[in-house]
Amino acid sequence: MAEPRAIVTLDCTVNGERWHGEVPVEEVLLDFLRARLGLTGAKRSCESEVCGACTVLVDGQPMSSCSFLAFEVHGKQVTTIEGLTCEGRLDPLQEAFMRNVASQCGYCTPGQILAAKALLAANPSPTYEEVGEWLSGNLCRCGCYPSIAESILEVARAQSAS
Amino acid sequence: MLSSFELLEPTTVQEAAGLLERYGDEARVYAGGAELILLMRYGLVDATYLVNVKTISGLGGLVAGEDALRVGSIVTHRALELDAAVRKGWPLLAAAESHVGNIRVRSQGTLGGNLCFADPHADPPTALLVYEASVTIEGSGGSSWLPLSEFLRGTYETALQPAELLVEIEVPRLPSGWTAAFARTERFYRPTANAAVAIDLRAGAIAGARLAVGCVGPTAMRLPQLESELAGLTPAEAGRRVMDARAYLSRQLDPVDDLLGSAEYKSYIAGVLLARAIGQAAGTEGANGHG
Repeated sequence: MAEPRAIVTLDCTVNGERWHGEVPVEEVLLDFLRARLGLTGAKRSCESEVCGACTVLVDGQPMSSCSFLAFEVHGKQVTTIEGLTCEGRLDPLQEAFMRNVASQCGYCTPGQILAAKALLAANPSPTYEEVGEWLSGNLCRCGCYPSIAESILEVARAQSAS
Repeated sequence: MLSSFELLEPTTVQEAAGLLERYGDEARVYAGGAELILLMRYGLVDATYLVNVKTISGLGGLVAGEDALRVGSIVTHRALELDAAVRKGWPLLAAAESHVGNIRVRSQGTLGGNLCFADPHADPPTALLVYEASVTIEGSGGSSWLPLSEFLRGTYETALQPAELLVEIEVPRLPSGWTAAFARTERFYRPTANAAVAIDLRAGAIAGARLAVGCVGPTAMRLPQLESELAGLTPAEAGRRVMDARAYLSRQLDPVDDLLGSAEYKSYIAGVLLARAIGQAAGTEGANGHG
């Protein structure tokens, strides 16, 4: 019969780099990323899977890292906002968010962009309604929704044209 | 920060049942944690041990059979929402699943976990009752089978005994020719009320109906008396009949006041949603089940 374990071995890939070590079973992915790896792009906010500020991608799927146990990413790929930059160049979504001023305080922005990244991977040409539905779990208290949606649609249009 | 606990990772249902027996009240079943982790964080649930049922092989099956859909208890909401066979054969379930929380909650949370948690404000049970779903429960004493309507006992309460696990949900198909719709209204991600309806429409009149309402009382429930009263009515007449059934709905559903609405409002909106879903199922109103 299985014996209880307080610490488990974790082997995962974060932003393309392999991480191997031990974590306490109660450590949530957000603390793993922020405190252990120093990746502070994912933000702590509601801590109840509602606001989306802590959104990261696990094997490409948006997850609430505040309430997802770190041991769950064993053998998986984790992507944070820090991982979107490629050779010093920002992701097209990051560029579009800046161009359209799709943030004010910026606290929700990493989560918005990662959710959008997953959306465009699943659906390269979303409608305005599909953008709204997919991102309905990412709240922006500054109310930048119109320019967030426009930024995503702009990137989708540019990518389908190229 | 979560308070510390220890993790148990069984590989069979029998081993999990044995662990639940050994650790008793100190152990909780963990199937993804979308709800459990929140309750632990807020100190509403104390767990010294989490029994991770995701390490058990055989609980992740999703099989669309000739007669019924078989859903392993650790299948996620997101998998059910996106599965082509579920969307085609069990559209009410796919619609209900597409409304659970948000996309992140749906990727983390499981149908089995949702049913065992028995939050009255849930979407899947309402749809499942219209399909007359049943559940398979397994413990060290063997396995048993129970209609979902008997499994759901009350607010956060199920028929599950200590050291028992929900292993599978069986969802029969609707009889051939029946049409269905799901309607709901929500605030802050949580459904205020929802309704699932299936009807057998013959020459413009209702020959059979199944009605279920959720989130209004302690559990989602079917409305057998109202169902039988719809026989012979046109969809428009049936819509008016359910709207007029407020006294029956209020008696039957046992509505409670909460942050999402008063008991009076909930029995009223239950009638509205049922009428809307009947219209949608009959093809006379709207195209989808969104409320």
